Amino acid sequence: MGVTYKNLAVLLLSIVIAAFWIGNGQADGEVNFPMPRDKIYLEECGGCHTAYAPGLLPARSWRKMMNELEDHFGEDASLEEPQQLAVLRWLTDYAADASNATPLMRRIAASIPRDAAPQRITETALFKYMHDEVPAYIWKRAKIGSPANCGACHTRANEGRYAEREVRIPK
Amino acid sequence: MIRHALILSLLFAVQAHAETPQQILDGLVQEARRAQQGFTASATRGEQFYRARQTGGDAESCATCHTQDAKAHGRHNKTHKDIAPLAPVANKERFTDPAKVEKWFRRNCKEVLGRVCTGPEKADFTAYMLSIK
Ligand code: HEC
Ligand code: HEC
Repeated sequence: MGVTYKNLAVLLLSIVIAAFWIGNGQADGEVNFPMPRDKIYLEECGGCHTAYAPGLLPARSWRKMMNELEDHFGEDASLEEPQQLAVLRWLTDYAADASNATPLMRRIAASIPRDAAPQRITETALFKYMHDEVPAYIWKRAKIGSPANCGACHTRANEGRYAEREVRIPK
Repeated sequence: MIRHALILSLLFAVQAHAETPQQILDGLVQEARRAQQGFTASATRGEQFYRARQTGGDAESCATCHTQDAKAHGRHNKTHKDIAPLAPVANKERFTDPAKVEKWFRRNCKEVLGRVCTGPEKADFTAYMLSIK
């Protein structure tokens, strides 16, 4: 059997698919967090800051936070009951200690003492460890301002994506 | 499963309904008239309110986060998150969902003034936003 255009096309197609697979799947798999797909999460929890991936904290942290939304870091983030229930459900379903957690999420869960329910991602030991190469003056840049402003550097943070090649530190 | 379906149907029931910015302004003027008979909205008063320095809350003024130019991107005073422009001329999603407008007045009036805004304040503010070209 000689080389036909059809064979060649199939071969090329396979290469493209394989490249796509590697590029999107395995390489970043470790730093992609599952995100609620409903836009309610983005609107209600992404209005004032990055829509944090639920997998960044354990379920007990989210339960505590969702009970205190009227005074959320000094602001009123309270929700109507249906949204409140839905958001709580997504946060706990995709939490760092959920049953289907990724390896990175499990590391996050394991790094937090069992009797603690931290409310700040940025104060967890693993967050500090992952960012120990970012010098203090960078956090203070006008377009960043705070380590909790994940979306300023992780361009796809609202989709739960934190891969290294999607980091752009603003000047 | 039933709980899941219930939550979903509740979410559906409270789904946002879209209006034009002018309809939203009209609604706020109606609300203001209940507090103040014969009220008409003023973009000039709204602009003064937008820029005024307040003392009741954590942010000094509306312009602290939305900047002096409501057509520009702003920045949240505490989280430093980028805020899309507020003036409808620069952002066509603004002032189209009455529930969203109400929610952010509630939050941000508390943040700036330390209290809820009055009907006339909300109507003037919105008139100013709609007047920006
Ligand atoms: C009205 C504005 C507002 C809304 C809405 C809001 N937050 Fe926040 N959130 C804040 C502020 C302000 C902070 C503290 C920022 C600071 O001081 O660094 C904060 C901080 C946080 C932090 C800690 C970040 C860190 O690691 O330092 C988490 C986690 C968080 N919010 C989750 C949520 C979730 C989940 C929702 C949705 C239920 C939500 N927020 C809705 C204003 C808001
Ligand atoms: C100053 C910009 C900046 C901000 C803001 C920032 N990060 Fe990062 N982050 C980095 C850099 C730089 C790295 C290291 C590059 C890398 O190895 O991926 C990193 C690494 C990470 C990683 C590990 C990625 C990997 O490849 O293992 C995670 C997860 C992460 N950040 C989450 C967050 C979260 C969550 C927030 C907000 C609460 C945040 N980051 C805020 C710059 C930032």
